[in-house]
Amino acid sequence: MELLTRMMELQEHHGAVTDEMLHALSKERGVPLYRLEGLRSFYPVFRAQPGPKLQVKVCRDICCHMKGGAGFVDRVRRAVGKDGAGKHPRVEVEAVSCIGRCDSAPAAAVNDVPVHGTAQEIAAFATGAKRLPIDEPAAAPRRWPTDPYAAPSDRYGALTRLLRAGDSAAGDSAAADRDRERIIATLKAAGLRGMGGAGFPAGTKWEATRAAPGAVKYVVCNADESEPGTFKDRLILEELPHLLIEAMIIGAWVVGARQGVIYLRHEYGRERKAVERALADARARGVLGKDLLGTGFSFDLRLFVSPGSYIMGEETALLEALEDKRGEPRNKPPFPTTHGLNARPTLMNNVETLAAIPIILERGADWWAAQGRRGCKGLKFLAVSGDVERPGVVCVPLGTSVQEVLELCGGVAGGKALYAFAPGGASSNFLPASKRDVALDFAALQQAGSMLGSGAVIYVAEGRDLVELGANEARFFRNESCGKCVPCRVGSEKAVEMIEEALKGKPRAGLIPLLQELGSTMTQTSICGLGQVALQPILSVIANFPADAARRLAPRSAPARTPARTPAGRPERAARGPVRKRAPTRSPKPRPGRGLAKRTAPRRKAGTPAATTRRARSRS
Amino acid sequence: MADAPRLITLTIDGKRVTVPQGTTIWEAARRAGIEIPVLCHDPRLRPVGVCRMCVVDVGERVLAASCLRPCAPDQNVVTHSPQVEGHRRMLTQLLLSDYPDESVRDRATGEDELVNLARGYRIRETPFPGGTHKPAARSKDTSSPVIAVDHRACILCDRCIRACDELQNNDVIGRTSRGYGARIAFDLNVPMGESTCVSCGECMAVCPTGALTNKAWTGLRTGKH
Repeated sequence: MELLTRMMELQEHHGAVTDEMLHALSKERGVPLYRLEGLRSFYPVFRAQPGPKLQVKVCRDICCHMKGGAGFVDRVRRAVGKDGAGKHPRVEVEAVSCIGRCDSAPAAAVNDVPVHGTAQEIAAFATGAKRLPIDEPAAAPRRWPTDPYAAPSDRYGALTRLLRAGDSAAGDSAAADRDRERIIATLKAAGLRGMGGAGFPAGTKWEATRAAPGAVKYVVCNADESEPGTFKDRLILEELPHLLIEAMIIGAWVVGARQGVIYLRHEYGRERKAVERALADARARGVLGKDLLGTGFSFDLRLFVSPGSYIMGEETALLEALEDKRGEPRNKPPFPTTHGLNARPTLMNNVETLAAIPIILERGADWWAAQGRRGCKGLKFLAVSGDVERPGVVCVPLGTSVQEVLELCGGVAGGKALYAFAPGGASSNFLPASKRDVALDFAALQQAGSMLGSGAVIYVAEGRDLVELGANEARFFRNESCGKCVPCRVGSEKAVEMIEEALKGKPRAGLIPLLQELGSTMTQTSICGLGQVALQPILSVIANFPADAARRLAPRSAPARTPARTPAGRPERAARGPVRKRAPTRSPKPRPGRGLAKRTAPRRKAGTPAATTRRARSRS
Repeated sequence: MADAPRLITLTIDGKRVTVPQGTTIWEAARRAGIEIPVLCHDPRLRPVGVCRMCVVDVGERVLAASCLRPCAPDQNVVTHSPQVEGHRRMLTQLLLSDYPDESVRDRATGEDELVNLARGYRIRETPFPGGTHKPAARSKDTSSPVIAVDHRACILCDRCIRACDELQNNDVIGRTSRGYGARIAFDLNVPMGESTCVSCGECMAVCPTGALTNKAWTGLRTGKH
């Protein structure tokens, strides 16, 4: 953390981390130059040379692409050039990956301040013709159904009761251990699953980290959601940061950790302020820091702002960053529960998962389980975007259907008909509108051939070119590949190149089966979830919308195979030898996609009550 | 007397194999006479599992890299099923699609491991667009007096990085950039001849391809060709 933090300070201060600075840093810290170069060139926040004063980052990913249309970034560039001529000659317009403002698409950031609107409007912010909005957390956050505390003074109630109980049982470590086991049992009974994409049972994770041997353990909150369409954690970070902080402290008490880290995505400036204020508030209340509430138990939390890039949301890549390394996912096993930060047992949960824990402990596992519908347990935050009248975050019973969420958000934009939807972010498979009654739930979506993933529902209206959208997502994963392993690094690039040829009207012969075969190899052999899912969206278009796929990806007439490249040093012998039949590979049918480094998993029971829903207000 | 290491018995391609706990699947297979192809792995180096050529079927959702996966008791490992071989062939094709038309190492010594894998898989052509037209990232660096660097032939196996940094403790080579643009770099990404490289030659000794070769090989041809 220290090295990257220092480099981020340099970047912030000087607008660059130059070679001279790295030479000095290398001497000062005794770190080899190659390592510093590896870090500077890996993380998007760093530049080797100072850039222009005004930097406009325009999102190029699916939701903004849908709303802004093709070539949106270029239109912003042109608009800035025209209006800014002479006045702001040094405005840089850069196309970037999703910045997590999909509900106000098309979105951009001017010097890290989020803005949105037409190309002209974004250009106006950049050139100073329009004043930048104030980037501050909501003054009066709304009450959300996962917050058990009616008034700010009630916050940290679950934690306080727990510590006080431990206090009264002072010296009775067996009693405290029973309390810890009871919390794990409650989380298991509640059926709480990881909300970052994997759906791994939270209680099991807590139990494994608690059981892992080690005097030093850590608690890490993964607040690095970055998948296109995903912005639900953003809302929790801004409006409910006290819940995730409380859950982290409880987690530390349960597993035996004394230090924790909130790993926050770089683009969330306003949310960062909200978390910092909540951390200060927790310290002031005596529930964070040394000797909490006089119990002798100490736990401190540090906020670490990510130096950027989507892959950091993969849990082991995130740990690598915290260890001042390139954010390349580790081979698993071992898992973070036993070998996490600094190879110590680490309890790592997503923002939404943690934020659900205080209310589960306050109201009980049965209460939480009863919040779901159609046999699902609990509540779920969903980020809703795409062709929908009122995009935003909703909190609904788990098990609410795709159609019901659509209705909550005002239906399809412009009153159009629904054509398709991706229920779990950019890595989830597209399903046809005919499946709109499927429940937004882990098991139901897996059965329907997709996944709940990161809880991001993207609606697609009639008239959209799904192949374009699938191609956009393949491009996103290509852009965000860390490059560590061959299948993802090379496979995603080759796939995108071939898809782009096809979109230009020149699909190579056999493209569809080749993409299916390549996708299968990427799924089976990539180190992490990114490479495993990279081609799944486009493959789901091929599988579920075959006519659309054939129109764009299949050559019109039966053509000759594209010019062959001869591999290096091909020996005469092989050249003359018989061409071996290609070994059959796995079924080309797309599997339910999977989020980063995660598994999708089983089901639940028992139906229940009505939807408590809220919508994010639109921001400006 | 020290405790004897715990032994583990598992099945690899139908063979019962007993190895000390902690042995990798790749190593256990090798002891049983089963060769699993690798590009990034070298028994002298810390395994990293980046080339994915050594993947095997251990009955999980996806394949596992045998070079770093420890054997588990009663595990059933399949190393050469048609599926696994199909994936290895695909990976080889991906790497070949960006490979130069001629490998210096292959020509000089016949020991280019990627080219030899391609021969084994009888790959005559790759179905993918070639990447040698790619800009800056893929070029030659002849600045070192001893070592010729050809980034086009680099498959990012990280062997040179581990050899330079961990075997020799010279700490010169690392990875720069990321994704498809990633490549090996010297110090702050300067030409090798301008870096702190001491020309020990360990990197070209471990390099499996034509990326890092002895300048003296230029023009050399083995009797094999």
